[in-house]
Amino acid sequence: MTDRNFHPSRRAVMAGGAAFAGAFLAPRGLRAQGKDTLRFALSSFPANLRPFQHVGTSAGAIKLMIHRGLIGYDAAGKLRGEIAESYRADGERAYVFELRENARFHNGDPVTGEDVNFTIEQIAGAKSTAYLKAAYEIVESVEVKGRSVRIVLKAPSATFPFHLASFNAPIISAKSTDNEAIGCGPYRITGTERGTRIDLAAFDGFYRPGFPKTPKLACIAYADENLRVAALQAGDVDLIEYVPWQSMESIANNSALKLDATDGPFMGLVFNVKQGPFANAKVRQAVAYAVNRADIVKAAFFGRGTPMEGMPVVPNSPFYDAARESHWKQDIAKAKQLLAEAGLPNGFQTTLLSSAQYGMHKDTAEIVQQSLAAVGIQVTLQLPDYATRLQMGNRGQYEFAVVGYALDYEDPDAMSSFLAGSTASYQRSFGFENKAITELLAKGRGELDPAARKRIYDDLMRLALEEAPMVGLAWRSQGYAFRREVEGFRSLPGSLSFYSPVTLAETAIR
Amino acid sequence: MTGVWLAHRILVAFFLAWIVATIVFLALHMVPGDPAELLLSTGGVSPDPAAVAELREKLGLDQPVLLQYGGFLAGLMRGDFGNSLVDDYPVLHEIGLRLPRTLELILAGTLLAIAIGMPAGVYAALHRGGRFDRAASWITALLLAIPVFVVGTLLVLLFAQTLKIMPAGGFVPLTQDPAQHFKLLALPAVAIAKGLAAVLFRMTRAAMLDALANDYVRTARAKGLAPTRVLVVHVLRNALNPVVTVLGLQMGALLGGTVLVEYVFNWPGLSTPLLRAVEARDYPMVVGIVLTISVLFLLINLVVELLHAALDPRIGAR
Repeated sequence: MTDRNFHPSRRAVMAGGAAFAGAFLAPRGLRAQGKDTLRFALSSFPANLRPFQHVGTSAGAIKLMIHRGLIGYDAAGKLRGEIAESYRADGERAYVFELRENARFHNGDPVTGEDVNFTIEQIAGAKSTAYLKAAYEIVESVEVKGRSVRIVLKAPSATFPFHLASFNAPIISAKSTDNEAIGCGPYRITGTERGTRIDLAAFDGFYRPGFPKTPKLACIAYADENLRVAALQAGDVDLIEYVPWQSMESIANNSALKLDATDGPFMGLVFNVKQGPFANAKVRQAVAYAVNRADIVKAAFFGRGTPMEGMPVVPNSPFYDAARESHWKQDIAKAKQLLAEAGLPNGFQTTLLSSAQYGMHKDTAEIVQQSLAAVGIQVTLQLPDYATRLQMGNRGQYEFAVVGYALDYEDPDAMSSFLAGSTASYQRSFGFENKAITELLAKGRGELDPAARKRIYDDLMRLALEEAPMVGLAWRSQGYAFRREVEGFRSLPGSLSFYSPVTLAETAIR
Repeated sequence: MTGVWLAHRILVAFFLAWIVATIVFLALHMVPGDPAELLLSTGGVSPDPAAVAELREKLGLDQPVLLQYGGFLAGLMRGDFGNSLVDDYPVLHEIGLRLPRTLELILAGTLLAIAIGMPAGVYAALHRGGRFDRAASWITALLLAIPVFVVGTLLVLLFAQTLKIMPAGGFVPLTQDPAQHFKLLALPAVAIAKGLAAVLFRMTRAAMLDALANDYVRTARAKGLAPTRVLVVHVLRNALNPVVTVLGLQMGALLGGTVLVEYVFNWPGLSTPLLRAVEARDYPMVVGIVLTISVLFLLINLVVELLHAALDPRIGAR
């Protein structure tokens, strides 16, 4: 048959296949990049890199590479001078910063007091949309004398240094424009593939000689958490952020990889206290006693977390109190007793707002639902997409709701986000306002003596447990993973975990 | 006659595109979730109602929906899809950047599917009931049954994580590193191709069997024509018509299928900005991308009809 002439022989097919494979599938070693480029897998591509806006932690990671603030965090999470060589309190209402002589912006200009003044004006200005605008409005004046910068505040503030260290408040050059903020961080951006990757190169004028240790960074967005892990395991990248909880064990057991995780962010419940059963603090307390938090850690975080039975204070904090942090230990009898005292001995029916868009929010809601059934509270879950959930939260269209938190800094003042505020927010119990709590927060913020602050926050947290406007559920582990060859990268403790990319300046590939 | 037919088809395509744009626009505005509020809620800050109102005014969201719809249509007439509500980036630029990548993925997947599915279908039809035919039927059933994201994940597990011979996913522009570009394209293209190859195999096989049973094939053979000529000119050409129809429809379906594949392989096509835009209620971006996909779908259908007309002149004459 003539057409049989068109049929290739099996040998020819195999030879062709082998040639194709040989040419196309280069061995891994040929694909791997050299030691001069560290490939960092981000969990999303930053929406923008405007220095003073908060658009997520991936943007924060890039900002920590291209910018530096007056002060920042070291690998242990302690505040340290960055652009400021040293700083000190000057009386009760002022801080004095001595700028480094060798600090330079990426355009080669020295970092001056005028640039610091310009930065503060940009953040606190009337038309500013900065994330920290409210926190910076406390600044009364900025006095510049040579390399010395004196920032005078309208009132004493123990928390102002935390705001200065935020990745949403870097020092930028006064020559910056709306489209280009000139930073003074260890890296500068050399290329951007929109939606895909950002390439950075070491800035040779960085104030710390010998740093950054790695000449180039390639930050590649991997939105799918499983692919992010696969990319690390396949050797496509050297470091990943947001390690999914289900992969932590396999990474920890992989001799070629290293997992660096810490309990930082946490899950909690907020309530509509304007109307419905949760207007009564006893009902909120009953919920707090009824929830099985160990099950939340198991179901939502694959065991990678810790039950939160009190206020969100980490054990190494000077404000930690072991007895208080186990206040809400599960106690079904006590929960039932509190419901009876609230006039609801047989429980009630209610709706819990969460979101099916994120597994941790949905799983947490399901465990809360199961737990509350044991005390007679019949919960119906409402699981819209996250955008709808936020809107419903901001408008108080819920009875109680699951919330995920990451405090901005390691200080009880950061609890303001869920304890007090002038406008409604999905992060706070709708309609909750407690004058004593608000006053204690203001007092703690204005008190500079550590012992006095401890007393104030002890009172505050005692009151917060009584009122239960936010019921903590579980700390969740926040992790980075990297190849064994990567040295110097550290996960910062607690809620500062998202500041870990600051250690990239000290990171090298062996 | 053909000119009138073509003009009619194009008009219908425009009308359908307008219907799609209107439905997407109105549906988005009916779904809860305010873009201004979402934008200002980033980072957990409490959005000040005054700031939300100001932003809504700036973005034109304070106007009645019908007025917004009018502005949207006027923009479309000018070829302007507007700017993203999130970062003010022009929607057309975003589509211009992403669409070629999605099309490249679809094209690669389709070519792969044609290269595998059609010859295999022809071979199976010529050797009906043989070992290859039976084995291929089983394999295609399996390929059609497994969801595309499962295949994608398995490919990553096998080639990237276990054998470590392929990258897990990502994208490098062709101009920057051609070899790496095609390497990154390979696995998603295979994932896209698997379903289409199975469908093409089955359609080609069935159409070939139908065509082979026709009297004219027997006549052609009886005339003493070479078997290859009988196969190519008399059987394959007549068998191609239904195959091309299915190919066109499936290519349209691939536009939807790429959403999952692009996500699984981190291929930065149209799906990522579409998902992000829906989450952020970025109206112009969602409408722009959905409209683009719809127009592409309509275009593919138009091309299929034109191909039909070329393969079967009776269609154009009707």
